[in-house]
Order: sequence, then C-alpha cells, then structure tokens
Amino acid sequence: MPLPILIVLVACGIAGIAWLIHASGLSRARTFDTEDDARAAWGREFPDLPAGTVTLTAKRAAALVMTSEGPGLVWPMGSDSTARLLHGSRAQPTADGLDLRLPDPSAPRLRLILTQDETQAWARIIEASKARHDS
Amino acid sequence: MTPEITFPDVVQLAVPFFIAAILAEILWIRLSGRGGRYETRDAVTSLIMGAGNVVSGILLGFIAWGFFSVLWALTPLDLGTSVPVILLCFVLDDLRYYWVHRFGHRVRWVWASHVNHHSSQHYNLTTALRQTWTYQFTFMMVVRTPLILIGFHPAMVLFVGGLNLIYQFWIHTEAIGRMPRWFEAVMNTPSHHRVHHGRNPRYLDANYAGVFIVWDKLFGTFVPEQDNEKPDYGLVRNLGTFNPLRVAFHEWQGIWADVRQPGLTLRQRLAYCFAPPGWSHDGSRAMSEQIKASHLARNPQDAGTPGF
Repeated sequence: MPLPILIVLVACGIAGIAWLIHASGLSRARTFDTEDDARAAWGREFPDLPAGTVTLTAKRAAALVMTSEGPGLVWPMGSDSTARLLHGSRAQPTADGLDLRLPDPSAPRLRLILTQDETQAWARIIEASKARHDS
Repeated sequence: MTPEITFPDVVQLAVPFFIAAILAEILWIRLSGRGGRYETRDAVTSLIMGAGNVVSGILLGFIAWGFFSVLWALTPLDLGTSVPVILLCFVLDDLRYYWVHRFGHRVRWVWASHVNHHSSQHYNLTTALRQTWTYQFTFMMVVRTPLILIGFHPAMVLFVGGLNLIYQFWIHTEAIGRMPRWFEAVMNTPSHHRVHHGRNPRYLDANYAGVFIVWDKLFGTFVPEQDNEKPDYGLVRNLGTFNPLRVAFHEWQGIWADVRQPGLTLRQRLAYCFAPPGWSHDGSRAMSEQIKASHLARNPQDAGTPGF
C-alpha cells in the first residue's frame, strides 16, 4: 500500500473511531459515588494493603486513602481507575487544586480539582508523607 | 538459493479491515448493549500505539532485516516457497511466537516492550492494536534464527509473522463468547486470550499462544477462562496516564531508574533488567508467583484450581 494512502487511512480511521466513541457518550470520566467505591478501587490495585480512612474530593473525582504504609490516592483513568501510594510525591497548589508529581514513570503527574480546604489539607498530608519518605 | 522473493506486507493491507472491524464492534456493543466496553481516551491511545508500531517498523525494521539477511547468506539450506513450506513456516513461527511472548512476560527487558499491549483496562479490538514501539530493542528477532538457518526465506518468515499478527486481531474481543469445542481445543480464541489479558492472580502468566493454543497445553501454561471469574483487564498496577509516549517507554524508564540505584551489586543491576517483572533486590515488590501465593493466603479455597 502506498505510504500516503496508508497515512490518510490511519489518520481518518483514528479520527472517525474517536468521534464515534465520543459521540456515543463514552468520554465521561469515572467518579466515585461512595467511599466504598473508592475503597474497592483501591483494593483492586493494593489487595494486600487495606484502605483505612477514605476521603473523597468534593467532586468525587478522586479519594485520599490512609493505609498502614502511608497515604495513597485513587483516581479515575477514563471509565476505570488506578491508585498509588504517595511516597516521595510533590504537591504544588494551583488555582483549582493540586498539581501532583509522583516518582513513578507509569503515573508521573496528576492534576487534582479540589476545594480550597481540600487543597490545604491534602497538601499537608502529602508533604508529611514526603518528609517521612525522605527521612 | 531462491532468487529475489517478495511477499506482501499483509499487516498494512489489513488496516482497512482493522478499521471496519472496530467500527462494527462499536456498533454491535451499542445496538446489543453487551459484548464489551469502549472509552474514548483508552481507544485513541491504543490506536496511536498501533500507528506508532507501524512507524517504528518502517524506521527500525532494517535492523531485523539486516540480521536475517546475514543469516540467509550464511545458510546453505533453502526450502523454497511452495505452499506446504509456507504452512510449515507458519506453524513453526507460531512456536517461535509462543516463546518470544513467554519471554515477554518473564524477562523484564522484553516486558518493557510488551507491557504497553497489556496496559489498557479495556479488552476490545483497539486493544489488539496497542502494540510496542520498542520491539527492536529487545533483540527478540534472534529467536527467528533457527527458522532462517534451516532454510525458510526471511521474507517468508516476516510474511507468516504478519499473518500471525492479523490472526490475533480478532481474538481481542468480548463480543464473542466461546467458539466450537474443537476450535477452542486447538486454536487461540477470544476466550483463551481474555485469560491472557487478565490481571487476576489466577490468570497471570497464562495462555501465551499466538494462533495455536496447543503450545500452552504442551508447555504447561494453559489456563481456561472460568465462568465464575471474569478477567479483570490491565496491569497488576494500572497506568496513571494515557500519554502514548509514557505508555511506550515507562517500563524502560523504570528499568533505568532501578539499575541506577546506589549500592547495588552488578548481579542486582542485571536482575533489574532480566529477572521477571516485579523482581526487586529488597523484596519490596511482588512477582507473579508471589501475587498468586498472596491470593491463595487470602483465598485458600482456590488452591488446586486452574491457574494455581
């Protein structure tokens, strides 16, 4: 197949499929309706590390999870979810929440939409965790 | 020696079929309300990974081709290009695929390339196209050496490899339950391959087959899909990004970060490259054997069932 035709075919194919999926209403990110939802999502990634206290964001778009190994975060990945412990993470306040940098190439950065109170509280917890990790 | 031989690039020729089949699967799921899930960013990431794989093949394919050409110049054997020879080459190349795929899950250096194929939490036809950009860096092309040295022309070997890849496209779907029993016994199917993409402890390191599931049965890695345990797709620790560059390179970055840790012995640094994924010098991570053992500690009733 001539290369120009292949390029056009692939570009149009990706665009067309993306449009069809989006138009089908399948772009909406997952939310965590309850603490148990977030707890289950955490347990899916860390089955041997039970979630203690779970704090949902006001928009229910992520949850801070306290564990025996320190705080962790569970957040949506499209219609699914993932989670990480926050060891060694850095949190930078932004206009609408926190810009979180994780020392993990498979989940390097996360922008959290938080209220002002949440931003301050979460930043304190994450900084304390970083300090414990660094020491 | 066989004179100038060319075979069609079947993967490129199959691109229109791939697109049509994905559209058909999306429509089927919409109309029937079953048969799988799609999500926009996940699917777009998979498709970009597929396009990048083709680009990577165009840019770096000369490495494998150069290596195969040297082998072909060395061997005195030439089996020709008859149909039975092509069929035999297809079967033997599928055996080659089984082992490369098994290395891809058991050797971190190869996993670093293959991990992106497992990084979607969805299982649909776009997942089939979520292919590596870094295969050439694994040097797994050497596993094809015996095929060429016994007289299969390099162009034929690449041709049957393309057919193998195309076969594997249609098995990445939840829209098909199970095929007829005789087919499930011999061939790789959506059911068998769903198991392979499962992150459930039961399904880890199972069903490496490309086309013929008999290799897994022969080498003891076959696990049938359990009606009471749906595969949970994705990685043991799922990605936190849809960025295709991250998807393609994150495990290589992880290897680099691990081998540079201070205070390790040379053996430990090499183990971070070549031991099974999840190996760590201080035991702080878990390999699949430990994940299975940990699952059995929580669920002792599963001991002795398939996959354990």
